[in-house]
Amino acid sequence: MLKQEINELLTQTGPGTAMGAMFRQYWIPALLAEELPENDCAPVRVKLLSERLLAFRDSEGRYGLIDEFCAHRGVSLWFGRNEESGLRCAYHGWKYDVNGQCVEVPSEPDERHSALCAKIKLTSYPMVKIGDVLWTYMGDPAKTPELPEWEFARVPEGHSFTSKRWQESNWLQALEGGIDSSHVSWLHSDGLKNDPLFKGAQGNKYNLADRKPFFEVVESEGGLYIGVRRNAEEGHYYWRITPWVMPSFTMIPPRGDHPIHGHFWIPIDDENCWAWSYDYHPVRPLTEGELRAMREGKGVHNEYVPGTFRPLQNKDNDYLMDRAAQKRGDTYSGVRGISMQDASLQESMGPIVDRTKERLVSTDSGIIMARRKLWRAVEALRDEGVTPPGVDTAHQAVRSAAIVLPADQSFIEGASEALTVRPGEKHASV
Amino acid sequence: MQRQPTLLSSCASAATAAEARYRITVPSFTRRSSRVIALDGQAAAVVKGLAEQAWNGGRFFVFESALPDDALLRRVVAGDAGDAADGPGTGTALLSEELDDADTVVMIASAAANATAASVIGDAAADRSIMTAGLVLPGAVPPGGAVSALRPNAMVLVVLREVADVPEVLSALRV
Repeated sequence: MLKQEINELLTQTGPGTAMGAMFRQYWIPALLAEELPENDCAPVRVKLLSERLLAFRDSEGRYGLIDEFCAHRGVSLWFGRNEESGLRCAYHGWKYDVNGQCVEVPSEPDERHSALCAKIKLTSYPMVKIGDVLWTYMGDPAKTPELPEWEFARVPEGHSFTSKRWQESNWLQALEGGIDSSHVSWLHSDGLKNDPLFKGAQGNKYNLADRKPFFEVVESEGGLYIGVRRNAEEGHYYWRITPWVMPSFTMIPPRGDHPIHGHFWIPIDDENCWAWSYDYHPVRPLTEGELRAMREGKGVHNEYVPGTFRPLQNKDNDYLMDRAAQKRGDTYSGVRGISMQDASLQESMGPIVDRTKERLVSTDSGIIMARRKLWRAVEALRDEGVTPPGVDTAHQAVRSAAIVLPADQSFIEGASEALTVRPGEKHASV
Repeated sequence: MQRQPTLLSSCASAATAAEARYRITVPSFTRRSSRVIALDGQAAAVVKGLAEQAWNGGRFFVFESALPDDALLRRVVAGDAGDAADGPGTGTALLSEELDDADTVVMIASAAANATAASVIGDAAADRSIMTAGLVLPGAVPPGGAVSALRPNAMVLVVLREVADVPEVLSALRV
């Protein structure tokens, strides 16, 4: 249960809100790099933190993320022409560079032109390509943090695959799904047996044999580690450890030699978010088979309505619910695919779930602690200007792990090395 | 696959912000019956502070001693009525009786956690299918001892960095 004012504090991320100010402390994923594939390609509309923005790549390959609307008459610059190192409004030809600076107002006389242009500048944010992702920082330029160091974005080309999808819910209920380890044994039980990116791992047998796991939640510098233990061989536990780094990065514990995967949840506005999903392998390129499975929507990825980032299974078609498959036990909920199994239930809660009415149980402790840490960090930033956890790139050097430890060993001690990025070394996985 | 048509009024499509305002507002649960038990001296001090606050029916205790097939708890209430000023036997309760109508047991421990206490409480709760959680308090000493003591006896363990988080966790659980 959460008080209404705290629910609002954590779920509202537009300009001028406390949680919005916190998101604006971080480099966040803005676009897939493939959305701006070449110089002078078509611009892309993107809404982030309730701001309508336009992304483009100019003639020199520079990336820009600027206010979507022309300063002149408020026309969307998406209709504009991306040419000769700038984006020109289709209405009257006003032109802007990647910094949002107006560089041409063709209708004005030459003698007034420079002075007028100098006074016109759209909101703009820096955008950089790291890995498969274009990242932006929407905060105070004077406080721009170091560029992100997430391992999935820093491994060599070919080692990672990233996708994104539109989720029709507030970002927080999507994040809470990512750290709610207790639902996996139920909602996703079919994935361990069937999904090409999960099946076949030794650890799966522990998952399937012990459906009443125990949980341990340990705070870290950047957020939390959520450990889930199940019985393994005599005197040992099988641990699956999920790191959460503030505000919205999670990593799912790996299975066998399959790639590691995880998510970022980034607010589009208060009732929608981008669900970013990544897979990577620290020491080898992804195989053709793995890439094919990811593109086909397996694992944590999904299929799309062609030409969009809206999932093919969405609330307008009841997520292609298959009751016969549910009855046969092919899927637990009747919805196909891990990502859409999550999205369907999280969207069914409504755009912003009323947390004053929920009844949490002890296995929700990860969620309880994450909310508490977010709340504390938001207030510390708002009241004292304290930089929140997760901005420091050292906090980003985390890995998930699946590991068997002696029964009397703390996971945070036994798996400390496994939970840290070790470049060139394989992830800890069973 | 035979499919039914998706209607505008169907559950998935109707999950809008406007619709959420018309959802049923009658609480779908009765009051929880929680027991919060301190396992050591540092935890007892925290529990005494907690007992001063308003709760949703939760009761607070300090573990006193193990008995054959049971345990003695000291009840802590607002005003610290369960303190040593009480006479022998007053402010005490048997674990077995307290668990009769409990649905959640939260154990609070510091690094000096009493492993016997955790075991007695954990076993008694498990016998009655009562949900258990353990909160490990921050301290100068690494919490390994408390974690080891609580791990076999709590379905969920939370290792805290701030004592101030204890009431927040309990509030979220509707203690």
